[in-house]
Amino acid sequence: MIALQDRKLALWYIGVAYIAFLIGTLMGLLQVFIRNDKLQLPAWLDYYQILTAHGVLLALIYTTFFIFAFFVTGMSKSLGTFGPKVRLVSWIGFWVTLIGTVLATAMIVAGEASVLYTFYAPLKASGWYYVGLALFVVGTWISSFALIGHYRVWRKNNKGELSPLFAFMTITTIVLWLIACLGVVATVLFQYIPWAFGWTDTINVELSRSLFWYFGHPLVYFWLLPAYIAWYVIVPKILGVKVFSDSLARLAFVLFILFSIPVGFHHQLTEPGISNFWKFLQVVLTFMVIIPSLMTAFTMFANFEISGRKKGATGLFGWFKKLPWKDVRFTSIFIAMAFFIPGGAGGIINASFQLNEVVHNTLWIVGHFHITVGTPVAMTFMGLTFWLIPYLTGRKFTKSMQILAFVQIITWSIGMLLMSTAQHILGLLGAPRRTAFSNYNNHPSALEWFDGILTSHVTMAVGGSILFLSAMILIYIVVMSMFLSPKALKVEDQVEFPMAESDKSHTPKWLENWWIWIGIAFALIIIAYAIPLSSMIMHAPPGSEGFKTW
Amino acid sequence: MSKNNEHDGMDLRGTLASVMVVGVIIVVMWVVVYMMYMGR
Repeated sequence: MIALQDRKLALWYIGVAYIAFLIGTLMGLLQVFIRNDKLQLPAWLDYYQILTAHGVLLALIYTTFFIFAFFVTGMSKSLGTFGPKVRLVSWIGFWVTLIGTVLATAMIVAGEASVLYTFYAPLKASGWYYVGLALFVVGTWISSFALIGHYRVWRKNNKGELSPLFAFMTITTIVLWLIACLGVVATVLFQYIPWAFGWTDTINVELSRSLFWYFGHPLVYFWLLPAYIAWYVIVPKILGVKVFSDSLARLAFVLFILFSIPVGFHHQLTEPGISNFWKFLQVVLTFMVIIPSLMTAFTMFANFEISGRKKGATGLFGWFKKLPWKDVRFTSIFIAMAFFIPGGAGGIINASFQLNEVVHNTLWIVGHFHITVGTPVAMTFMGLTFWLIPYLTGRKFTKSMQILAFVQIITWSIGMLLMSTAQHILGLLGAPRRTAFSNYNNHPSALEWFDGILTSHVTMAVGGSILFLSAMILIYIVVMSMFLSPKALKVEDQVEFPMAESDKSHTPKWLENWWIWIGIAFALIIIAYAIPLSSMIMHAPPGSEGFKTW
Repeated sequence: MSKNNEHDGMDLRGTLASVMVVGVIIVVMWVVVYMMYMGR
């Protein structure tokens, strides 16, 4: 068990994460009914307002707060209790992040920031919304520096040793986050805030979007890497095996730093202000990320097979039956991984220059989000929640909670399968994203979107409703595990933090030489971004005034 | 660094086959959307 003060910090992070989850999923439920023309919002509530709240609260707030809860707990467990300075800085980081969250959310609720989670210019929110976003990022930086400080103390006390795998992976994720945020901080501080408060009249739209996507793509990996930590470090322990390869795991993680940042243009393939060469270069770099992704897939299957064969499995796939299906900590993460197969394949399609033309502004992209961050990441976090909260509160994860947890992950899977399949196919048919309900003057193509059995807005609404039911079951489990489940007084009732053993004896030391990896990362960023960004600044088109379309 | 590694002798045929299946899913999905692109 980790120290009480560290547990308290982690629990506050989880508490905020699940408040955001509750509101964010409710906003999702409203959307599927509006798109199906089954719900009219009152005049004071706008579709784009709830769409913004849904994206920001789930994709930014829920994920980030949960990730820090996981990191705080894992770093305290793997490197030892936080010192007083680390603890103080961590709390400051928590409160600054929370103040930023509350300010940004208040602006959305007040109808001053219906700019969606990408906050694309020239849509203009209140300046305070961007101040909220900036505080949010600064808060996460403070928390990140606290964790880096804790890691440095450990390294100083253990000279020449490789850090535990959990700590290494946490620091990798934080390094990626710090480098990624430079883009969003630059655009928010130097473009959006002066423009939104009226200190400048216009904004360079292309530059703002490019800086956003410099941040926006590695943001995806900021969500994904903590899930991968669970896949690499937690799952083997549940399976009763060691980490398959410590060096492979570390190499995969540093490759994610290198190839998740200089690739933002693949989100801007349809934009005219960037020349084809730079788009092509960044698409090539994007495809490099397939290497660590397939290394991860290989490791996961190897863990399953080794564990199954240890239990007597024979034949090519006999190990599949020997997996611990009755353990919800495993089954939840296995389903998360399964969803990531089509999710990852969809990502390759999105990043392919021509194929992007087919899917770019369609519901396909929304479906893609939901089978990447919405299930592989979110369901991994759910699988962690089931044991992480009881571990932190010292309460039991009772039999009835375990059954409910199964109901929760099964309903989430069914709901997501229905909703995201409908979104993918509707997208291929041409149904647009980011739009409220419209029948496009009864155009035959648009009417088709409401007709199919699996491919309609009705299916989306049914899927969305099942997802909301699942979300509420999860909230019930969270509340029970935090406050109401019986205390685990006997040792056998206590919930463990499952952290697999990792053999570092064959791992080369250079894998933990940050100068190498941060150096290569910046070199690739400069190659991919220096010329196109400077061109956007030096040959800037006339800037745009702000628009408030809601 | 020792050349003997702990993975020698492990039966990972299922892993190889599974990763291949993932690869096939990626290729099939990609080709389907590519055909749609060409068809439009």
